[in-house]
Amino acid sequence: MDNNYPKILLVEDEKGLRIGTERLLTRKGHSVKSAENGTDGIKLGLAEDFDIALIDYKMPDVDGLQVLKEIKSKKPSTVCFIVTAYASYETAIEATRLGAFNYILKPFTPEELLHQIEKGFKQRKLLLEAEQLRIEREKNLLEIAHEKSRLNTIIESISSGVLLINREGKVVYFNKACLNKLHLEKLEIEDYILDKLPIQITELVNKIFNNHTVHKSYTTEVEIIPNGELIIDATCSPVPHPDGTFAGVVVVLKNITGLKKIEQLKSQFVSMVAHEMKTPLAAVLGYLDILVDPNMNVTQEKRTEYLNRSALRLKSSLDLVNDLLDISRMEMSTKKREIENIRINEIINNSLDVLELEINKKSLTIEKKYVENLPELKIDRDEVTKIINNLISNAVKYNNVNGKITISLNIENNFIILIVEDTGIGINADDQAKLFQQFFRAKNKQTRAISGTGLGLSIAKKLIEANHGKISVESVYKQGTKFIVHFPFK
Amino acid sequence: MALIAVIDDDPDILEASTLILEANGYQVITANNPTTGYDVVKEKNPDLIILDVMMDEADDGFFLAQKFKKEMAKIPILMYTSISKTIGMQFGANELVPVDDFVEKPISSEELIQKVKSLLN
Repeated sequence: MDNNYPKILLVEDEKGLRIGTERLLTRKGHSVKSAENGTDGIKLGLAEDFDIALIDYKMPDVDGLQVLKEIKSKKPSTVCFIVTAYASYETAIEATRLGAFNYILKPFTPEELLHQIEKGFKQRKLLLEAEQLRIEREKNLLEIAHEKSRLNTIIESISSGVLLINREGKVVYFNKACLNKLHLEKLEIEDYILDKLPIQITELVNKIFNNHTVHKSYTTEVEIIPNGELIIDATCSPVPHPDGTFAGVVVVLKNITGLKKIEQLKSQFVSMVAHEMKTPLAAVLGYLDILVDPNMNVTQEKRTEYLNRSALRLKSSLDLVNDLLDISRMEMSTKKREIENIRINEIINNSLDVLELEINKKSLTIEKKYVENLPELKIDRDEVTKIINNLISNAVKYNNVNGKITISLNIENNFIILIVEDTGIGINADDQAKLFQQFFRAKNKQTRAISGTGLGLSIAKKLIEANHGKISVESVYKQGTKFIVHFPFK
Repeated sequence: MALIAVIDDDPDILEASTLILEANGYQVITANNPTTGYDVVKEKNPDLIILDVMMDEADDGFFLAQKFKKEMAKIPILMYTSISKTIGMQFGANELVPVDDFVEKPISSEELIQKVKSLLN
């Protein structure tokens, strides 16, 4: 819209008047479009956005009131004048009812017309302004509505349960997560909730109800499904009105079952460690008690034997401590991994050197089957050494006298595959499943005399996985065991 | 002289216990697993059974104690345990497990002999 000169539609069937008016208005700087009958007038009036429409009352095809009605219905802010020589009270009322701004009586002077147009243009500006305000207001409302639904979506999406309770103990709001956290089938707004909540939560809600404190939150843990199947953490906080007075309580419910399980595993681990540590110490103390007792008649030969046994048991205790330190180092990642290029066959040879004494004691045969041109591994030397020592020393420990250990290295895709195979006591299927668990040791006649911490393989597995490899076991009870390790070399 | 059966899967505990008990004039038979333990007791009918909890082999010691109490109710049982303190659980006699007394490992020779004496009387 031009702020100074309105855009005008002129609907007039009388040619002389039409051209005269058009000329007058154009000369004044207004932009004018004309229609010579009602039909064209409607068409034009709807097609474009006019500030002002001057509509002749009497036309042969469609009368002016009809044109007015059509334009007003689609373009309510176009200011319309009815131009007529046949003014009557009735037509004036009818025209006003249909939305005409004013009447212009024929014949009119240019001054009269321009004066009317000026007034109409002011009206047009007011109408547009009002329209603008209305649009803005609607937009704001829409935003508020959006905001509300967005908040709802957010609360619905969070995995914690959110439950709002008013001062009467009725549910005012809840999200879906509430239902599964509380293990409830359904919940309705305005339900009385205090008798449906676990007693621990109700107590906290009542505490807030009674104190009407607006700042303090309370938290409790509740076992919803027995046997630790669902444990939640419930935090109850007071909700104030905007003026700060007490409105109700919001309860936030979090599933902490997983955390609780970890906690339980940790304390289980601690008690297992304590037990594992205590067993050899008890044995050693038992011997020392005998050795220092003057009333005990112990031969020199037996004394030496007990001291040797004690040393052995203490050594197993020390192994356990070292394994535990390895685990804690891995879990806390205190040790930085130093990646270097490693020839895995060198690590295997070192390991065999260390174990030479035990290998000879059992008269074991070692066979190596390596493919040629093995790539180097990019791995931490200490870690790969620990892995290989563990596998080979197991193959020695759990082997039979005159047994055999086969160590092979192959390449498959991007992996070097290490297989350590023994001809020892083997592991039955049940035990294989638990083999990599901490403190698991297969218990049978054959393993009774073999010392071990029950941590070696769990450590090896952790180290292998930390290096993006994997380990698996194949074993036939009483025939032998085969550990297969995939080390990525790319 | 009283005959005592010691059942424990730790060979060193068996050795030390045997030595202490024998030094105090008892006769001792041993077993290092529940199965032979049961057989030895059945066969020799000892005056006292010293039984390890044997935590490693889930509840074997408890299970065996129940079996003995059912079949040979009159033989007192002294149970070796190394776990009660560490897991914060204190057993009382006849509570949970049908045994007559508990000793916490490591066990001193005096304590062992004292408990054995009182159970045999």
